[in-house]
Amino acid sequence: MQYLVQLLISGLAIGAIYGLIAMGFALIYKSTGLVNFAQGEMTMIVAYIAWSISTSVDGNPFIVAIGAIIAAVALGLVVERVVMRPMLGEPVFATVMVTIGLAVILRSSINFIWDAYPHDLDIGFGRGILRAGGIGIRTGQIAVIATLLALLAAIWAFFRYSKFGVAMRAVAADDRTALLMGISAPRVHAAAWAASSVIAGIAGVFFAISYDLSPAMFQLGLKAFPATILGGLDAVLGSGVGGLLIGITENLAGGYLGSGMKEVAGFLMIIVVLMVRPFGIFGERDIERV
Amino acid sequence: MRKYLTTLSLPLLLAGTLAASDRAFAAEQGITDTEIVIGDVEPLTGPPALLGVAASIGHKIAIAEANNAGGINGRKIKYVLEDDGYVTARTIQGVKKVIEVDKAFAMLGISGSGQSIAVMPVLEKAGIPTVIDVAPVKFLWEPPRKNVFVVGQSYEEGIIHLVTYLAEKNPGKKWGLITQDDDYGITVRDGFDTVVKAKKLNVVYSGNYKKGQRDFSSDMLQLKDSGAEVFLAGGIIAENIAMMKELEKLNVKPVTGIFWPGRIEPVLKLMGPAGNGIYAVDYVEPFASAAGKAFLEKAKPLVSEAEFKGINRYTMTGYAAAKVLIAAIARCGKEPTWACTISELEKTKSVETGVMAPVSFGPGVRFSNQKLQIMQSDFPTLSFKPVN
Amino acid sequence: MRTRDYKQTYRELVALTDSVPVWLWSAILIAALIIAPHILNAYTLSFLTIILITVVGVLGLNILTGYTGLISLGHVGFLVTGAYAYAVLVSKYQMPPIVGFLGAGVIPALASLIVGAPSLRLKGLYLAITTLAFSFIINTVILEARTVTNGARGIAVKRPELFGISFESEAAFTYLCLGFAVLTLFATLNIRRSRVGRAFVAIRDNDIAARVMGINLHTYKLLAFVTSAFITGIAGALYGIYLSFVSVEGFPFLLSIEALAILIVGGLGSALGAVLGTVFIVLLPEATRLVFSLFSTQMDALFSTGAQELKSMLYGVVIILFLRFQPRGLVGLWHDVKRTWVHWPLRY
Repeated sequence: MQYLVQLLISGLAIGAIYGLIAMGFALIYKSTGLVNFAQGEMTMIVAYIAWSISTSVDGNPFIVAIGAIIAAVALGLVVERVVMRPMLGEPVFATVMVTIGLAVILRSSINFIWDAYPHDLDIGFGRGILRAGGIGIRTGQIAVIATLLALLAAIWAFFRYSKFGVAMRAVAADDRTALLMGISAPRVHAAAWAASSVIAGIAGVFFAISYDLSPAMFQLGLKAFPATILGGLDAVLGSGVGGLLIGITENLAGGYLGSGMKEVAGFLMIIVVLMVRPFGIFGERDIERV
Repeated sequence: MRKYLTTLSLPLLLAGTLAASDRAFAAEQGITDTEIVIGDVEPLTGPPALLGVAASIGHKIAIAEANNAGGINGRKIKYVLEDDGYVTARTIQGVKKVIEVDKAFAMLGISGSGQSIAVMPVLEKAGIPTVIDVAPVKFLWEPPRKNVFVVGQSYEEGIIHLVTYLAEKNPGKKWGLITQDDDYGITVRDGFDTVVKAKKLNVVYSGNYKKGQRDFSSDMLQLKDSGAEVFLAGGIIAENIAMMKELEKLNVKPVTGIFWPGRIEPVLKLMGPAGNGIYAVDYVEPFASAAGKAFLEKAKPLVSEAEFKGINRYTMTGYAAAKVLIAAIARCGKEPTWACTISELEKTKSVETGVMAPVSFGPGVRFSNQKLQIMQSDFPTLSFKPVN
Repeated sequence: MRTRDYKQTYRELVALTDSVPVWLWSAILIAALIIAPHILNAYTLSFLTIILITVVGVLGLNILTGYTGLISLGHVGFLVTGAYAYAVLVSKYQMPPIVGFLGAGVIPALASLIVGAPSLRLKGLYLAITTLAFSFIINTVILEARTVTNGARGIAVKRPELFGISFESEAAFTYLCLGFAVLTLFATLNIRRSRVGRAFVAIRDNDIAARVMGINLHTYKLLAFVTSAFITGIAGALYGIYLSFVSVEGFPFLLSIEALAILIVGGLGSALGAVLGTVFIVLLPEATRLVFSLFSTQMDALFSTGAQELKSMLYGVVIILFLRFQPRGLVGLWHDVKRTWVHWPLRY
């Protein structure tokens, strides 16, 4: 029993990180219809910026958090304005490839600006271990699960009640009609990129606190793919939940079937789920007309 | 056929004669009156740059040292370095470029183990004197190739040495092992199994993780559950860090051994107190030893500040290999040739490099079989210290 | 200069090309490619070899993604299956290389039946990610099936000998790749103009409409997967022989992405585009290297360790700029140039 509980807790902790990145994917897909292949890279860049800030201000968690959020917003806005906006109206496929080009640039910038050594993001928080009945969890892992849940609630409320949230939903549903209703699509896109960058950045910072900071961190993006597919590419909240499901599945597979199964468990799961629901668990079915 | 085609048209004929004359006049490629070219291909981009850049810095230090002392018999060494990004196809192209375009006289390196294996046919065909230092695996010297020399010790021997040491120190204990699912992991496993058979070790956990895995919670939980008391962590860098942190969380602390590819000092900082007292095996001196300090002293004026920060154990292995190669070319006198360099490399006998035990090759021996030593990490000073 | 196509018979309509200059230039290109291995040095020749191998693989992907509109992010899975099929048959079981090549086509084709099954239900990016999942699963299967594949140890592969001709030397091996590339090119061009190819394109443009017109979606989607995997598998065998060592490591996920990049840069759904895109993407790193060597001394001094990364960044920048200014790819550029040439000084 203790074994199972420990597996579930660890699964939730890593799943929360996948879930955050997956929400970043879904936010962009929902408002722009694109899959951002540079999501993992953006996660990594924000984490590195947070590390740079932490080394210069002696790891004060508040300054690091505020600095990282500002940096993430700036990164999202710059990417949207400089790289993505000019591609408006071009074929979706070409635009998706642009994000792959962006991923190459961001990935290389790590070794260019920083270096290839693993680093330690220490903001004096998240390293402590809580123990209860032989089960251990780090405070940082509790914090990331809590952050994910809080964000899920906040985003639900945002889309449901705020004017801008409704505008984003309108653009996602039908951008031309939304335009006619006086909603600025570019502004909605910019907001989506900035928000996606912040959410991914939060995941990156938590990952760096619990594990390490290295130029291989971009692979997290690939790991979060199954989460967002499972939840539904256009379901922001569903993707967050999808992350938790993938995290738990991976750990249960690793714990009971052996470590070889761990990394493919998530992928096997999405194949099975997609065969039943081809648009993800929480995704919306497209109605096609000829 | 070849001659027939070249006479077909004038430009081709010209190209052909130019190529022929080029070969006829030069004594050996890569050598002019003032210069001698040494080529290298390493991963300089992406995560594996950690080892590639460090190895190239080692080569640069040895070359700068030789050039400051007047070069090889008056010829300055020119170092040509190509990036392969750890992609095998690019390693092959890089090696071809260094040999064909830059006309290198000799080669150092080369990238990772899979990459070295893949370029072996190219090296053999070219016949260029090569000293491999980054990833010593058996395939590279068994069977021995005429022109390819390997400085170092095999992964398998390294693991055997480490596991034997730990087994003798902790008799009758339960063992756990986890390895990566690639050729590196298999070699580690082979070495481990050899000792398991010889010493009849009781292995209670044996895991296999996928390259790139970061979350080791379920694997370490299985390890804990199995009750293993001695643990061989077969990760490279990030993996070992994640494993040690996970074990700390689970409140178990088995006697742990790690292998040299992950034995770099920044790892200790990241592992935190959990990484105190882990054992490692290596054939180069730890930086905390007298020899290691002397090496850093020597390197400081020869490299830039950024490069100095990039120094790790691969710098030492690279330095030793370059030193051996330069010494062999120097012994060939005024007009070094490939044949002479290869036969001089073969005659390498107890060459002192200062960073590892003296290096020797021999007739038909293309592998220097370096002496291994066990070291232990010390968290307060973030260093590895030799254990006797 | 021709300004219009006047086609009067069905035969003319389905002919590969009715233009004499196209045949002439193609013949000249082939002749140049036949002479090239004898005058290029090993380094330059290796680019030609890589281009030819990549052309085969990309043409395979083009059938699936370009013609049928099914995006695959996991094509490297077929590449690695083909390479292993060849290596296992030839190096391990000492079969003749011709059997190896056949296996390198057939085994990925069989695997594609499994991979293709979800495509009957999934669409667009969902399908893309499912294929991605399959490429990871295929790697795991290869690593676990140790008795057949040697697991992570990999298999060494020698250059083959076919019909008594040894392809040991670099030049000979390039000819082998050239042969496969030309064969594949003709095969895909012919598929495109056949009933099957037209069905593929109909599915791409609108699959529901295609079904209404009597195209069996299940059959044709699976057929697209099988053909595509067969060709990609052959490319995998060639790539494995080029690397001289087949292991899962040698086939990184990056190759899937690169193949898609080639298709987009070249112009989606065009065989000519696939070829042009391959040449462009394969030579791009070399081109950026040349640009860098112009300023090498200053650059090296400025960023001693970062210069290499700057090169990869430039690679990304070029791809983005290209897509920004020429989203229809090199083929689109070629058509623009041709039109301008014909109509100049008029714009239309």
